[in-house]
Amino acid sequence: MKIHRYIYNLTYCLLIVILMTSCKHDKEHEYHSVTDKIEAESKNYKGIKTSSETFIDGMNLFEVTENEITFLIPTRKDKIKSYKCTECHTQPLAKMQTNDIKKAHWNIKINHADANTMNCVTCHNSDNMNDLKSITGHSIDLNKSYKLCSQCHQKQYKDWTGGAHGKRIESWANPRASMTCVNCHNPHSPGFDTKWPARFNTQKVKERK
Amino acid sequence: MSDNKKKWFTLNLNSKHKQTSSSCGCGKTSGGCNSHQPKKEELSNDAFFEAAVDASIGDERHKDGFDQVFDVKMDRRSAFKKLTASLLIGAGAAASCTSVTSSSESKEKAQIDWEEQFKGNYKLMDDKEKSATVDRLVRSYQLRTGKNINMSSKNAEEDVLFGYAFNISKCQGYMDCVSACVEENNQDRNSEMQYIRIHEMKDGKGFNFNEADDNYYHEVPAEGHFYMGTQCFHCDNPPCVEVCPVQATWREEDGLVVVDYDWCVGCRYCMAACPYDGRRFNWSKPEVPEEEINKNQHYLGNRMRKKGVMEKCTFCVQRSRAGKNPACVEACPTGARIFGNLLDPNSTIRWVLENKKVFRLKEDLGTEPKFWYFMD
Ligand code: SF4
Ligand code: SF4
Repeated sequence: MKIHRYIYNLTYCLLIVILMTSCKHDKEHEYHSVTDKIEAESKNYKGIKTSSETFIDGMNLFEVTENEITFLIPTRKDKIKSYKCTECHTQPLAKMQTNDIKKAHWNIKINHADANTMNCVTCHNSDNMNDLKSITGHSIDLNKSYKLCSQCHQKQYKDWTGGAHGKRIESWANPRASMTCVNCHNPHSPGFDTKWPARFNTQKVKERK
Repeated sequence: MSDNKKKWFTLNLNSKHKQTSSSCGCGKTSGGCNSHQPKKEELSNDAFFEAAVDASIGDERHKDGFDQVFDVKMDRRSAFKKLTASLLIGAGAAASCTSVTSSSESKEKAQIDWEEQFKGNYKLMDDKEKSATVDRLVRSYQLRTGKNINMSSKNAEEDVLFGYAFNISKCQGYMDCVSACVEENNQDRNSEMQYIRIHEMKDGKGFNFNEADDNYYHEVPAEGHFYMGTQCFHCDNPPCVEVCPVQATWREEDGLVVVDYDWCVGCRYCMAACPYDGRRFNWSKPEVPEEEINKNQHYLGNRMRKKGVMEKCTFCVQRSRAGKNPACVEACPTGARIFGNLLDPNSTIRWVLENKKVFRLKEDLGTEPKFWYFMD
């Protein structure tokens, strides 16, 4: 009887030991899902060596903090061909609007909101042509033109600050550099045209016949 | 498999040992398992001579040819290195009186080919071995074409897990990503291979891949349609990796599912196992015009492939590990593609996952793709 008890105890202990040691090193199934894995493994995130600096070096970028998120965007003024506007617009707009001089910017057609909602001076400041203007008449720096867009396009603005709308520049790593609204959208005609796709696969056509 | 000290992977078709799905007991499908570093067994001179004879005269010996070559009780690479070395010494002695540079070049070529032929699985290599094979491949390319390429063997960085998000409401079906991908990754121009497919789907019908068209040619976006892209989703629990009989494909620590083109035997099991049509096979010799070759390469990425091997999207490992966005992300004119580090709580990809309604394809399969879709 004693020996039976002994064997029984021994097996029991062995079983426990096996249960405790098996699967312990099986890192593969440590997490139930990749979402759990991301959550767990990013708790002690201390940053990485990979950086965007080599890629964005030399670009004219500046830092903005929007929606409590800080990132870099490209400057705008240095990319406008004839900035400052006051080089031509020496007088306020009203004084320059005469019949007998050649009209400037005649080729710009507004294809944005309808004429009831907006015209040139909805966004441009007719008193200070170097700046933009908010709906309530405050000056907006041309470099920060996103402030103008965000007045109406709040949802896009919020997505842009988070990174769901728009595009990163060059690198996924930090420091984050993102394009600003006017890098993709022409503010006078912000929609995208239809176009032909970049390629057509003739082999696929043959294969599927 | 504890008695398996070989550094390569064999099928052990007739062996008594039971084959487990992984070369080491820990069951990891990605990376190496450090606790099971195979021991290298060096041989005495006599034993080596025996082995070398074994390996060279094949059928005349008692074992069958396969066993003779592969069951030499030593590290296969060092065995063949020794063999090559002795062969070259012999050849060198004969050729030394008529030494010409071209012959030393062809000798070098032969040596490279020989060593490449018998190198181990990249997955199990240490850093030195990795850079050695990369150096050989670069040198070999130089000897063959007279041109220089840049090839990296950069490993995954700690605290990085790559992830991808795709905005269905932004994609307009322009296919600029497809073109950029083909050029970046040196994909076969003859068979017009493309890792990315853009599916044109009818509005209001959900994801209906049976009725979708991935090879449209009309102005886009077409009225009443939406577009979505598919490619390899770099599953965190990749079924393609499980089925590979030779472990030529695996998940790296940063989440990239990669293929060692030199270890792949072309059985296409992985292609059948992938629920997302993420893999592409080279039915013919892939060809890229010399002037179009992207010379910035990675061993696990866009280096030149050969006929009969599997390949797929690697999230442009040659770019992403350097810090750059994949080519498709960079090429997309609508910003529908978002890429980044899932482990960085402040990354844009994390913002998307936390603030948008994201979903993945065939989530119920448990493959855990690291590729999310979302809408504005
Ligand atoms: S999408 Fe397919 S090829 Fe890519 S990791 Fe998943 S199963 Fe493998
Ligand atoms: S085709 Fe290559 S990578 Fe795929 S399962 Fe076969 S050997 Fe493995």
